Amino acid sequence: MRGIILFNRTLLAVVLGLFFLIPISSATSVEPTPQSREIVFAIGNMPLNLDPRYATDAASERVNRLLYQSLVDFDAQSKPAPHLATWLETSPTEYQFTLKQNRAPFHHDKPLNAQDVKATYDSFLTLKDSPHAAEFTNIQNITVLDDDTLIFKLKQADKHFPAKLLIGILPADLISKNHDFSHQPVGNGAIKFSNWQNKLSLLRIKDGQKMSLIEVKDPTVRVLKLLHGEVDLLQGELPPELVKHLQSKPEITVKTGKGANFSYLGLNFNDPMLKNVKVRLAIAHAINRSAMIDKVMIENSRIADQILPPEHYTNQGFSHPSPDDYDYNPAKAKQLLLEAGVKLPLKLVYKTSTDAQRVRFATIMQAQMAPAGIALEIRSLDWGTFFADVKAGNFQIYGLTWVGIKTPEIYAKAFGSQNFPPNGFNRGRYADVELDALLAKEDWQAATTRIHNQLPYIPLWYEGQFAAMRKEISNYSPKSDGNWDDLATISVGK
Amino acid sequence: MTGEVVLLIKKITNFATVIFGVLLLTFLLIHLVPGDPVEVMLGESASTADRTALRADLGLNQPLITQFGSYLNKLAHGDFGQSIHTKTPIIDMLKTRYPATVKLAMLSLLIGIFIGVPMGIYAALKANHWQDIMVTLISVRLSAMPAFWLGPMLMLIFAVWLGWLPVSGMESRTSIILPALTLGFGLSAILTRMTRTSLLEVLNDDYIRTARAKGLDEKTVILRHALRAALLPIITIVGLQMGSLLAGTVITETIFSWDGIGRLLVESIEKRDYPVTQACVLVVALSYVLVNLVTDMLYRLADPRVKFGS
Repeated sequence: MRGIILFNRTLLAVVLGLFFLIPISSATSVEPTPQSREIVFAIGNMPLNLDPRYATDAASERVNRLLYQSLVDFDAQSKPAPHLATWLETSPTEYQFTLKQNRAPFHHDKPLNAQDVKATYDSFLTLKDSPHAAEFTNIQNITVLDDDTLIFKLKQADKHFPAKLLIGILPADLISKNHDFSHQPVGNGAIKFSNWQNKLSLLRIKDGQKMSLIEVKDPTVRVLKLLHGEVDLLQGELPPELVKHLQSKPEITVKTGKGANFSYLGLNFNDPMLKNVKVRLAIAHAINRSAMIDKVMIENSRIADQILPPEHYTNQGFSHPSPDDYDYNPAKAKQLLLEAGVKLPLKLVYKTSTDAQRVRFATIMQAQMAPAGIALEIRSLDWGTFFADVKAGNFQIYGLTWVGIKTPEIYAKAFGSQNFPPNGFNRGRYADVELDALLAKEDWQAATTRIHNQLPYIPLWYEGQFAAMRKEISNYSPKSDGNWDDLATISVGK
Repeated sequence: MTGEVVLLIKKITNFATVIFGVLLLTFLLIHLVPGDPVEVMLGESASTADRTALRADLGLNQPLITQFGSYLNKLAHGDFGQSIHTKTPIIDMLKTRYPATVKLAMLSLLIGIFIGVPMGIYAALKANHWQDIMVTLISVRLSAMPAFWLGPMLMLIFAVWLGWLPVSGMESRTSIILPALTLGFGLSAILTRMTRTSLLEVLNDDYIRTARAKGLDEKTVILRHALRAALLPIITIVGLQMGSLLAGTVITETIFSWDGIGRLLVESIEKRDYPVTQACVLVVALSYVLVNLVTDMLYRLADPRVKFGS
């Protein structure tokens, strides 16, 4: 009996010891929060590929904007603007680019010249698997006149050609050596690549400020890491309740701003029901966008009417149809459905991803549509299956967001009848001769009005942008398209 | 001995058959799910000619059987290919991801064993007393806590409130503790109940009474006689759990930003990065088969009456 008691005590000691041992040992070895003042930025998804000729995901493109410089960028109104070079349209099929004099050298200390530009764009001819190669098939040849000047000769006239030259310039000597830019990027941007193991380490050239990007998938964990001081900065990809929680913390600064990424409901025009404009109008009137923005979105989110936001240059100087034309009015929606000869309830299937916030939106819309006589069935699919279904036209309604769109050509790509997948982004297979004519004339005012009235998409909102940072972080603000350009200026105090 | 060699050969044959089956099934399933690697690589704006050219370049225009043969041939030469998205050789990805999973799995298993087995013994010795009820309650509570809840709770307590450990990541030596505890607690609950049940079955057996009658001290009776006899079901559970831990614990790896094989597998499926998916499934299958083999060997060590391979 005594033996049993002794044995029990031993067991208890082992169990309790294990519990106590862990905190004690860890307390002595836990690493300090970043006091060396490397700025740590937690992101939801790591960049996939830092070669600008391959990068398509948002994270890679945002980092590449810092590592490389392109010939052209966009100004505040999204007009193409000189970045590394100015240009002159010498003929409808010929553009002369002149590199700016005060351009930075590459990070491996070689100067950047016109040969590097030519090598970068010429390399698309040999890359069979670049997702951007199709953009440059119209280039007939590139002629270098001198170190600063080169001419792009096109096969066909394209007055939007400069707006396509957004690819970061790579050094010609490394292109010829088949350098692995995907994992060892060398550009001439404000930030230089240092290392990429578990985290992506970067170095700002002007002052040697170190920064690192770490992937933290779970939004709650990103918030906990920020509160604990393990990270200094977060941007986007948090549900509004977590943003509100951060706003209540004295050690955290939350900055918000207007967004320009357009969320919408896509409709399938092969579906006989959805072909009827009255049904589409009914769906628009069955969604209470204002309530959703007020209750489940972060501040500075705003109702959208078209893909490009009001501040875009194509939207300046003329009055637009109001987004309020499609206010929440279930009675009107029901009336429209009856006029369209629909037997109520109208059963529709809505496909979305598994993202928690997207599923939440879908659930709210399902409830909002019910009084209008629309029975919305939600199918939440993993991203690969969902997007494959969207491209294949295997849907009735889906929800997606256009991210970082700057050029008005998106209207042709998204709604032009020649742009059904796989030849474009007209995933709803919308065909409208009148709209095609307006798009061909590039009459953006008339085209957007036509789109507003015909509703090939149900426009939802431009989601607000935000960044949350430790109090000691300054000179960083969220941008409307969610880019991370302010990493070039961010600073950290004591 | 000869019989055992034959059985070993049988085991290895079974091993090869299972792996071949897994490879074939994965290959076929991947071709059934929606999504196209060429579409993933070239995006939506590529021309049909470019798509056709790349499809031919990758051999995707070949009959499935030819593609499978070519895949097996590359595997036989140790060539897993490269990721569609990151262009990284897959072997390099596996070299970093798999050891991380093994490290986490081993520590979780140790925590599970060190908590679960002693608690199970204690509960068995105190069967039907309040201590037994308490242990049962604790183990039920632990097994009822999903990783997506327990993980953030541990982070909140040990990282944010107490500041003892990092929230997540792999930068610090101590980063492994919280994910290992998250997995280990769940495992310990299973082992507690299994140990208690197995031990109770043998504690009233004649040979235990004999051992006590010989005057052996209680510690020896429990640890050397009773526990050894109760080990077989515990080894089975440990083997099964180890297999699933080595397959990667997606939720825990995701919550704790632990770059393991489970997370890599799920991400590759989401992104339709087929070569990575195939390689991960192969590694997971190999892990399961190897763990089963080791479990069989441990049976024999625990109970010499068990014939290897029987």
